[in-house]
Amino acid sequence: MKFLNLVLAGLLVVVASCSKEKNFDERELHLMSPEKIAGFDPIQVSDRYSGHENGKVYEGLFEFHPLKRPYELIPNLADGMPTVSADGLTYTFKIKQGVLFHESPAFKGPRELKSDDVFYTLRRLADPKLSAKGWWIIDDKIAGLNEWREKNTNLPVTNYEEPIDGFKKIDDYNFSIVLKRPFPQFLYSLAMPYTFVVAKEVVDMFGKEFLNHPVGTGPFTLEKFEQSNRIVYLRNTKFRDKFYPSEGAEGDDKLGLLADAGKKLPLVDKVVVDIIPVDQTQWLNFQKGRVDLMEMKSMYERALDDGNQLHPNLKSNGIRLHIDPMLDVTFFAWNYDNPIMKNKKLRQALSLAFDRAGYNRTFYKGLASEAQSVIPPGLAGYRKEFKNPYTKYDVTLAKKLLAEAGFPGGKGLPDITVETRSDTIPRQQVEFLAKNMMEIGVKIKVGQNTWPELIKKVTTRQHQGYTMAWGADYPDAENFLGLLYCPNSSPGSNGSNYCNPDFDALFKTATQLQDSPERTSQYEKLMEMVALDTPWIFGFHRPEVYVSQAWLKNFKQMEFNHSQFQYLGVDLEVKKELSKKF
Amino acid sequence: MLQYIIRRLLYMIPVLLGVSLVIFILFNMIGGDPTAVLLGKNANARAMADLREQLGLNKSLFLQYLDVVKSAFTFDFGRSWATKQEITYMITQGAYPSLCLTIPAFVISTVLSLIISLVVAFYRGRGIDLFVRFFCIAGMSISALTYILAFQWIFAFELGWFEISGFEYGFPDFIPYIALPAIIWIILSIGPDVRFFRTVILDEIYQDYVRTARAKGLSEVTILLKHVLRNAMIPIITYVVIQIPFLILGALLLESFFGIPGLGGITLNALNSSDFPVIKAMAILSSVVYILFSLLSDILYTFADPRVKLK
Amino acid sequence: MKENSLWKDSFKRLAQDKTAMISLVIVIMYTLVALLSAMGLIASDWAREVGASNLPPSAEHWFGTDIFGRSVLAKVLRGTQVAMSVGVATAVISIPIGVFLGAIAGYFGGWIDDAVTWLYTTFSSIPNIMLLISITMILGKGLFAVYIALGATSWVTLSRLIRGEVMKHKEREYVQAAGAIGGGHMRKLFRHILPNVTHIVIINTSLQFQIAIKSEVILSYLGIGVQGEPSWGTMIDDAKLEISRGVWWQLAGATLAMFLIVLAFNLLGDALRDSLDPKLKGK
Repeated sequence: MKFLNLVLAGLLVVVASCSKEKNFDERELHLMSPEKIAGFDPIQVSDRYSGHENGKVYEGLFEFHPLKRPYELIPNLADGMPTVSADGLTYTFKIKQGVLFHESPAFKGPRELKSDDVFYTLRRLADPKLSAKGWWIIDDKIAGLNEWREKNTNLPVTNYEEPIDGFKKIDDYNFSIVLKRPFPQFLYSLAMPYTFVVAKEVVDMFGKEFLNHPVGTGPFTLEKFEQSNRIVYLRNTKFRDKFYPSEGAEGDDKLGLLADAGKKLPLVDKVVVDIIPVDQTQWLNFQKGRVDLMEMKSMYERALDDGNQLHPNLKSNGIRLHIDPMLDVTFFAWNYDNPIMKNKKLRQALSLAFDRAGYNRTFYKGLASEAQSVIPPGLAGYRKEFKNPYTKYDVTLAKKLLAEAGFPGGKGLPDITVETRSDTIPRQQVEFLAKNMMEIGVKIKVGQNTWPELIKKVTTRQHQGYTMAWGADYPDAENFLGLLYCPNSSPGSNGSNYCNPDFDALFKTATQLQDSPERTSQYEKLMEMVALDTPWIFGFHRPEVYVSQAWLKNFKQMEFNHSQFQYLGVDLEVKKELSKKF
Repeated sequence: MLQYIIRRLLYMIPVLLGVSLVIFILFNMIGGDPTAVLLGKNANARAMADLREQLGLNKSLFLQYLDVVKSAFTFDFGRSWATKQEITYMITQGAYPSLCLTIPAFVISTVLSLIISLVVAFYRGRGIDLFVRFFCIAGMSISALTYILAFQWIFAFELGWFEISGFEYGFPDFIPYIALPAIIWIILSIGPDVRFFRTVILDEIYQDYVRTARAKGLSEVTILLKHVLRNAMIPIITYVVIQIPFLILGALLLESFFGIPGLGGITLNALNSSDFPVIKAMAILSSVVYILFSLLSDILYTFADPRVKLK
Repeated sequence: MKENSLWKDSFKRLAQDKTAMISLVIVIMYTLVALLSAMGLIASDWAREVGASNLPPSAEHWFGTDIFGRSVLAKVLRGTQVAMSVGVATAVISIPIGVFLGAIAGYFGGWIDDAVTWLYTTFSSIPNIMLLISITMILGKGLFAVYIALGATSWVTLSRLIRGEVMKHKEREYVQAAGAIGGGHMRKLFRHILPNVTHIVIINTSLQFQIAIKSEVILSYLGIGVQGEPSWGTMIDDAKLEISRGVWWQLAGATLAMFLIVLAFNLLGDALRDSLDPKLKGK
């Protein structure tokens, strides 16, 4: 039997080696996505991986600067930044002239981007028939848009012709949008995939199949889309003149990130994205040189040695390591519907019994930073000097507070189930918490859930506690503080149903202000307020760890990176040289 | 005969009704609220309510069940909630890679098992018989997960004999991708196959007619190949044919580790995202195929053994 | 009387079969480990840290330690309890259902047969993995859900086998004779026929047992099995992330533990069939 298998294996190897040839003449980017992507309808793109793919084909009015940090919003399809009226309500935009959509049978000849396309895109986002995932981003923000949505809910076909107060066309390249009330985060929403500009003719022509036939203005055109296997893009030969930036953050020059300054984008001819869901498989593919870039998520230890340096054997293949802070926060949240959890001393005791350093070592190799409150570093509202007195590891104090809370040694406290996802790492993380809590006599049980189940338990308040990570949608602390804003209670994003009238009042005033020292100081107040109240066990601001092959050029970790891929390049000489080693 | 086939085909109706009922009950009770998942992390109550209405989740349970039944008989499954793709398209896209993996693996393992069984039946009770049987059983006692983890690591990565993962549509491009998972499949299924085939063959070897043949002076090999195999074919065919429906669903774990975009992965994904239309479609599809093949197996039975009459 | 000697014969033959006896010893040992662990006598402190994280096997820690510095050996032993309990629970649930449905279908025929056949055709035409996953999800996961899910899916084969066997026996003389002296249906079925099909139950159980163990491993691997307790499946799941760093002992421990018991059950099942199945007698 074994012998036969070997013979068989041998035969197959022969076939295999015949059919595979490497191509070193074409500038090809090889990437992977750990998840299936949701298709190419921008209004439905809520996860980052679908965002990556849509960002290759489509563009928004704005994007984030690929190199500068902290994140800077820059015009993309827009021609310069808009003018904002004194009352903060009217935004007047200008779009670039001569921007062409990709060729498509839906168009008669070349098709230029116009003001109406932006309005159409925003209307689609609000179309009640489409249940767009991105509706929340403009819900209740633009004058007359909610009324339009309401009116169309019960009509058989959505009426796109009816005028909307908030959309004012000046000419084909100039228009303004009027808001209901000041919403300084509005421009960020115009850099998100939800508002990537689409053309009406294409949507009309393909109908429900639109998600497989994207036609955008972006740097690449879709060549092949096999949803659970592979996506292939080609360079958009008619892409407008867009150039690699000539300035970046400090030190970018030294890292060689400015070597391509002034070159016409995109820098590669072809992009191949493989869908690889299993992490073991991803890692093997990367090590074999089959993909150029890999996000290590929570598997850093594979690439790092004990001193958190790249493993020597990886280094010898020219592989590079990128460790950067992410704009996110992880937490163990309690459900305030449960009267026991309204007990502040209990919450503080639980927080004090949590061994953050040990957890950081075990799961993040010590690379994460301990969260003192809800806002991550890198955003206005975060204060480096601020230390939350309840995030230190102090079992004695925790025991004392637990007794004061009325549960000496955990007596009288029922078991608490903490819900999480059913993957390896999330399970181990709650096991870790449980081990810590055992020290003060509190029993934590692990609840494993599929993603839908977890979401359901949280949105329907059927949980005692859960753990999750929240990643920024845009670089503004409002996006994080909102997690504890009472009106956002379940089924909204405030899954712990935390309600604090003082916090709510200040949140409301602060979030209406434009970016200013005034606003920052209010954000800081909010941040400290929740820190002391300890509605969650604050977890970590996690690091983002990437590894890239020696031949990949210009990679810099980027939080909102849908448009990043046009800036990446491939050094064919290096690749040719190194591929002998794999 | 024809009457029998028609009767059996009609029997599909109650079974399909049963399948739709089971699936419907199971998935209406399952944890996830599809609307929360479909709308993402910033969903609000209003948008969720609207979507429930659109997906028909506010209809009475009976009407929802009727929808399931309707799609079971029309094969119109609509679109996936999660990927928004046409489900029939997803199935045709996924069936190809699944079958590229399972059919060759299945054929090779069946033929190989049959050969091995004949050999060990010939040498029954002797060292080689014991040895091979032990290997077969030992082979199937190791977890599939262990094979996958170890083989992918050793043969695809360290030795580089195979592709680590992925898939290419079209022959022969897919071969390097399916080779290793196919080998694992073969190792896993040779155990049970040889075990079954050997028993069946031995069953026949102790029959009277074999004794008669031996008395006539026919050689052992002739007896084995001409008489025993012929008679043993009946249970073997039944056993083999009834396995075919399961090939369609592919090999869930193999597909996910080796990145083969088959139906197994689609099913697992659908279960993980409460994608009810896809789950429904996969369950209905596999039960239809199952019924058809069990019918086929019964018909083959009569051809192989004229004594059996179909009623 | 006749039956008695038949069983005696079988056991005699079984006792002479060395592989069968070794297998039996392994099964008994696993059962002991499982019982001791259930009573809290061994491996009850599996959650305790015994050393540094991910220590390789040594004289002190035979199977090494896991990511939290827990003893892999203790986890393997604890996992044995989980695995064995899954096997037993599956048998306890599936045997009564399978035997009862199979027996009445085979004996009474008619609409009862139709109904039972319909039921098991329906169940067997839905892919097993789908049933397993959905049932465990509904019951909220955990061991209990695994028991029910495996029990609810594994009665089908048994039921079909029993049905066929009972049909054969129904026509036999001794049953006809029992009918002639005035035995009721239930008496005939349960006193006369069932004892003659017990060997099918035994053989099937020994094979189902190992299938149950394997399924538990897969379910736990997929994260819908055992919660908060070590199982061989979750250990292999852990190993998935560790193996490329050279941490192989968790995979090896779980695989070895599972290999031995599944192998033992397989060999025992074969031996039981050889000795109990009258068809193969006299070879």
